[in-house]
Amino acid sequence: MVSRRTAALIALAATLCMMLGLASAAHAFDEAKYPDLSGQWRRIGPDRWDGASNRDAPLTPEYRAIYEKTRKTEAGNMIADPMLTCQSPGMPRIMQAYQPMEIIVTPDTTHILIEHIHDSRRIHTDGRPWPGEVDPSFRGLSIGQWQDTDGDGRFDTLVAETRHFQGPRYFDGSGLPLHEDNKTVVRERISLDKSNPDILIDEITVTDSALTRPWTVTKSYRRDRTPVLVHRESVCADNTAHVAIGDEMYVVGPDGNLTPTRPGQPPPDLRYFPR
Amino acid sequence: MRNRILVAAIGLAAIIGVTTVSASAFDDAQYPDFKGQWRRISPPGQPAFDPNKPRGWGQEAPLTEEYKKVFEDNLRDLAAGGEGLWPGYSCRPPGMPPMMTAYEPVEIVILPKVTFIMIDHIHDAHRRIHTDGRDWPKEIEPAYAGYSIGKWVDDNGDGKFDALEIETRHIKGRRAYDATGLPLHADNKTVVKERIYLDKADRNILRNEVTVIDNALTRPWTVMKSYSRAPEQYPFWREYLCSENNNHIAIGKESYFLSADGYLMPAKKGQTPPDLRHFEPQR
Repeated sequence: MVSRRTAALIALAATLCMMLGLASAAHAFDEAKYPDLSGQWRRIGPDRWDGASNRDAPLTPEYRAIYEKTRKTEAGNMIADPMLTCQSPGMPRIMQAYQPMEIIVTPDTTHILIEHIHDSRRIHTDGRPWPGEVDPSFRGLSIGQWQDTDGDGRFDTLVAETRHFQGPRYFDGSGLPLHEDNKTVVRERISLDKSNPDILIDEITVTDSALTRPWTVTKSYRRDRTPVLVHRESVCADNTAHVAIGDEMYVVGPDGNLTPTRPGQPPPDLRYFPR
Repeated sequence: MRNRILVAAIGLAAIIGVTTVSASAFDDAQYPDFKGQWRRISPPGQPAFDPNKPRGWGQEAPLTEEYKKVFEDNLRDLAAGGEGLWPGYSCRPPGMPPMMTAYEPVEIVILPKVTFIMIDHIHDAHRRIHTDGRDWPKEIEPAYAGYSIGKWVDDNGDGKFDALEIETRHIKGRRAYDATGLPLHADNKTVVKERIYLDKADRNILRNEVTVIDNALTRPWTVMKSYSRAPEQYPFWREYLCSENNNHIAIGKESYFLSADGYLMPAKKGQTPPDLRHFEPQR
């Protein structure tokens, strides 16, 4: 038989334990509150922004003319793709996920890690306001917030906005252009597919002066849960033979000499070398 | 009787509650607070690998006689307008250990099985320090950042981790300790050991005791690197894209320069222009 005094002590001890537990939980990052975004995410579909042909891209007449004049390969990819000389694809093109994407969620930041040229991003979820002055960048500055859209007490959607860009940037490898004024705003809603948690959906809306209206596409990525023992490092400078000199793009051939990238291309001007 | 059962039930519910909360939470209170933006502490100007000593020969790096000569040759090349041994001119990352000089600020993200060290400088590197108890894999493709395995240690036995001890191997070259071209061995068999912890007197100072074991050295070389936590509530993370506005152009084994008006120019006195054999003769 337990005395009243002993029972009261047990209850007090249990209450203290619970309070300590709650106190440590206050320090703890409760990852159960967030969707499981672990694994490697690979893009579903081709390197075309709308997932098809971009035929219905709402370009202004001026930017449609620029797009149609872009020199392309037989496969329809731009010959002078800045990625070939290790320029970042920038946003929104980063979300083409040219290499598998890894997403690391922490309370203050969601990191999107992509081992490609310079494609990793931070989406700040720490409640920061938009700063007055921002150093523009190819990836822009992203601020977001997690939402619980179905009211089950768990976050399911990351809503993000990205601004403050520099360029030039394109939507994809075809050279579909963004405006040179770099006033792009990219809004995203990132969530797991409700019918298949191994599909990640990113509904991306781009507002840009090269477009007649905001343009929304939905990109999907498939999860690969295979454990990765050694993550491959990809350093663009090691993997490219392209060289940009002035407005021209050349290739350094296997013999170490400069070669043209199109018939009739003039060689670089050597005016600064003594004759 | 009823009161006793009630009390026991309350106690059981509390215990269950504590267990349930802890099982789904990552208890970062167990780890030191490495959050925020870390900026290197070093004298003004181009940083040296050992921030406590002058650059170049002043570093007193314990180089072998062979690699003292390699360093001298590199200094001569730099003086003549060449790139020396520093890979950054051709937009290759400094790799380990020089990346821990923190040419750009550092972010450390601690997770149960891996700690990320993120530095956006030349390459947007995210070092993974595996703390899941794994063995060294049998086959590893070398990387500039190497492959890192670490463990958390509780130095003072208070039940909380204080320091992250790391070993990094399988590092790709070429590498130099800093922009003076102080060389690491071309065999790329470097091993880097680190001990990262918060300064006991100032929790906004991070210390990294870095020990390099390399065949260009006569003995292991240990330096202390320090970083201060940025005071801003919302620090800004700058994008550092080497290829943008990089005026160094590599063609074969030669490195040239791009002039302000967009033309190729020699980087060294008397440098011959690139061979244009693959171009049609121009009228």
